[in-house]
Amino acid sequence: MKKPRFDLWSVFWAILALLYFFIPLYGTLDFSLRMKKGEISLLAYSIVLSDPKFLSSFQYSIIMGIISVTLSVLIFVPTVYWLYLKLPKARPVVEIITILPFVIPVIVYVYGINTTFGRPPFRMTFNTFTTDILMVGGYIILSMPYMYRAIDVGMRTIDVRTLTEAAQSMGASWTKILIDVIFPNLRIAILSGSLISFATVIGELILGDFLLRPALGPYMAEVGRDKAFEPAALAIISYALTWISLGLIQYFSRGNSTQRQLTGR
Amino acid sequence: MSYLELTNIHKAFGTSVAVENFNLSVEQGEFISFLGPSGCGKTTTLRMIAGFEIPTSGYITINSNDLTYLPPNKRNVGMVFQSYALFPNMTVAENIGYGLKIAGKNKSEIATRVEEMLALIHLEDYGKRYPFQLSGGQQQRVALARALAFQPQVLLLDEPLSALDAKIRVELRMEIRRIQQTLGITTIYVTHDQEEALSLSDRIVVMSQGKMEQVGTPSEIYNFPATEFVAKFVGQINLIPVDAHEPEEGLVKVGSQVVRTAKYEILDNKPLRLAVRPEELNPGHLDGANNLSGKVDSITYLGSIVRIRVDVEGHPFSLDVFNERKLNMPVVGEQFQVNFPVDACWIL
Amino acid sequence: MDQTLPPPVVPAKKSIWERLSETNWIGLVPFFAFIFFFLLLPSSNLLLKSFQDFNGNFTLSNYAVMQNPYVIKAYSVSLRVSVITSVVGGVFGFFVAYAIVLGNTPKWMRNFLMTFSGLAANFGGVPLAFSYIATLGRTGFVTAILKSICYPDPTGAQVCPFNPYDNGFNLYSMTGLVLAYTYFQFPLMVLTITPALEGLKKEWREASANLGASPWQYWRDVALPILAPSILGATLLLFGSAFGAYATAYALTGGSIYLITILIAQQIRGDVLNNPYEGYALAVGMIVIMGITILAYNVLQRRTSRWLKS
Repeated sequence: MKKPRFDLWSVFWAILALLYFFIPLYGTLDFSLRMKKGEISLLAYSIVLSDPKFLSSFQYSIIMGIISVTLSVLIFVPTVYWLYLKLPKARPVVEIITILPFVIPVIVYVYGINTTFGRPPFRMTFNTFTTDILMVGGYIILSMPYMYRAIDVGMRTIDVRTLTEAAQSMGASWTKILIDVIFPNLRIAILSGSLISFATVIGELILGDFLLRPALGPYMAEVGRDKAFEPAALAIISYALTWISLGLIQYFSRGNSTQRQLTGR
Repeated sequence: MSYLELTNIHKAFGTSVAVENFNLSVEQGEFISFLGPSGCGKTTTLRMIAGFEIPTSGYITINSNDLTYLPPNKRNVGMVFQSYALFPNMTVAENIGYGLKIAGKNKSEIATRVEEMLALIHLEDYGKRYPFQLSGGQQQRVALARALAFQPQVLLLDEPLSALDAKIRVELRMEIRRIQQTLGITTIYVTHDQEEALSLSDRIVVMSQGKMEQVGTPSEIYNFPATEFVAKFVGQINLIPVDAHEPEEGLVKVGSQVVRTAKYEILDNKPLRLAVRPEELNPGHLDGANNLSGKVDSITYLGSIVRIRVDVEGHPFSLDVFNERKLNMPVVGEQFQVNFPVDACWIL
Repeated sequence: MDQTLPPPVVPAKKSIWERLSETNWIGLVPFFAFIFFFLLLPSSNLLLKSFQDFNGNFTLSNYAVMQNPYVIKAYSVSLRVSVITSVVGGVFGFFVAYAIVLGNTPKWMRNFLMTFSGLAANFGGVPLAFSYIATLGRTGFVTAILKSICYPDPTGAQVCPFNPYDNGFNLYSMTGLVLAYTYFQFPLMVLTITPALEGLKKEWREASANLGASPWQYWRDVALPILAPSILGATLLLFGSAFGAYATAYALTGGSIYLITILIAQQIRGDVLNNPYEGYALAVGMIVIMGITILAYNVLQRRTSRWLKS
């Protein structure tokens, strides 16, 4: 009597899952290559990539991504560090706050931003610079669950107290401790949190759409409304970006699996 | 035919052999230990009796019923795991009664039996608790009760004490023996702890690298180890390379000093080694015994005994003496005489 | 050697400032300031405004919008889509996770599924909608294949009975939405439930088999009760992720499916309700539903996990 080599029940579900993954991907790829009738071509891609609106929105989203991620790291690393070192009791409270963006749907959140800052006394949506401040704040809030978790997990693995005391005993100041000791020890956690947050920003539709800023998400939605083949090419490009972000996370954090969901829907 | 029979059991995982040529007959009510280092195949053998592994060849019978290929849930053998493996979602009573529930017993019958088992393990008031509310020792007692509640033909214990503190371990060890004797259940006990095996078992199977090294009562295993492995694994032993002197007379040489033992044979190229337990060695000279002189190398206090290491012409002998207050301890480096009875040593 | 004792330390009366600094909250000021400005202010403002009339007076009348048939429809469609996709995605994802963790599947398949789940859980929004249009839209890849399966009927005429659009299928409908959401829902389930499945100890299965339980009895009596809190939590996450979803539905159906998120979006864009304050009530309603879900989850969680260490 021998065990069957593979159990069919499991193989069935695994294959079903693989099909579910791949058929839409293949369909998209196939579609994106058929812009020229009767032949395979990269025409859709070259049209997308040479569209100045694509380039400008892509550039805008990348800049916003970099700014948001940087600020996010600067806010959350000291916060989590402080929580571990001085106020462990407050951790549950902060944890609940950081998952609030899961509870408040993005559209509702943007609604709140619009009604609050779009009129007196703030009037922040009245010029592009202050609107961009709102964009950045919104992006940080939306990616907060991922960023906070990544840093929290990273902080848990290093002995914050001992490291701090060691640095203090050598006369380091608080800023020096953060810059020279905490940040370097957290670099993998920061990196994976940053990449997830970055991917969130790049794929985000709602903020840009409703604050009327030229981000990549609204651009894609617009292309989808009036083109046929270009959207497929854009989808493939966007998957590739997500793929690269997650691939980098996996590459840098082999061993600890802290993958999460990224994009807003 | 004996109650539990393992015949020509052979088990390989891929190309690596886990158990080979394993033959054992166990009488009803007997307490047998499988003793050996990790990876020696003792747990694999136990798991084959439980049905979690299937032998590559050979067969297993209980009460003359072949159950080699029977699925584990049809075997009616009880098993206790090292990690307790209590179901965390069930209370103590539900855990103990689970086997009976599966067997389709009615509620009042289960309740009565659970009460009985709780009394047997002295946890009468714990029926409504969940496993996480119990200490490790209590959890393992519940696991024992669970494995016994449905009246299995054989009880299997897989290193049941190794996750527990030293003190609880000794307590529970005696508890296991008491329960086993009360119920008269045939028991197989897997352990790497020689003390457990020696103190609990009717017979011990010493295993190494998938093979049986020796089967015997605790006293046979300790006093007459059949192989070098058994001698080294069970208890402490001095194993000193010696030169042949007069095989017929049973004489060997430790360095330049002659020691008398039993008659031995010289096999080609097989080095001779003299085996003697540290507690058989005594300080001082004694006529009629084997006497050796050397230098004190180190003295180690182990609590009730003191272990003195003596260097006899480059060969280290350990000797254990009781730690009596009046005892005059030698000084490291000083000349030292040891003696041991002729019949307390043998050639391996 | 004589030693002099150090003089006893007399605790000085502390000033308020010293006490405040002892509470150690200073390091959290930037965080809370940020949260206050960007999260608390906008959401509490919505809440507040939902209880105000045009003149800023307190009123409950904005919530009368919940009786508006369009609003009722939008909420019920949203709830339906969320429940269906979280159940479908949850069950599917559970079996896939089972295949990955406990199933005897080839190793490359397991690694692949795990990696891809991490990826697919993050595909969503506009690009996902494009993919489904390219695959199952009227000119999509799969549609084209199904259309092309033709054979002559008894009269000799060619029939192509598998065109999904001839059989009542429409991608730009609820069915299409469920199919598209499932693309990220089931991988999300795989990601969240895998650790719980990995936490099932092999010994529990063995112990139950040893006590005479069949595999089915093991799942009924041991594994599923142990997994219940995790399954519940994961399903809630799936529900939330579908309930708040907007981009996928918007890009796929262009608003032809009346989800509550789409209604809110229209209200932001153009005040379709003709009363901005009713819009705030609508938005608060969504938060309330999420809150109730989480509350219900907590109650259920407590009931299914009495045996868990707290």
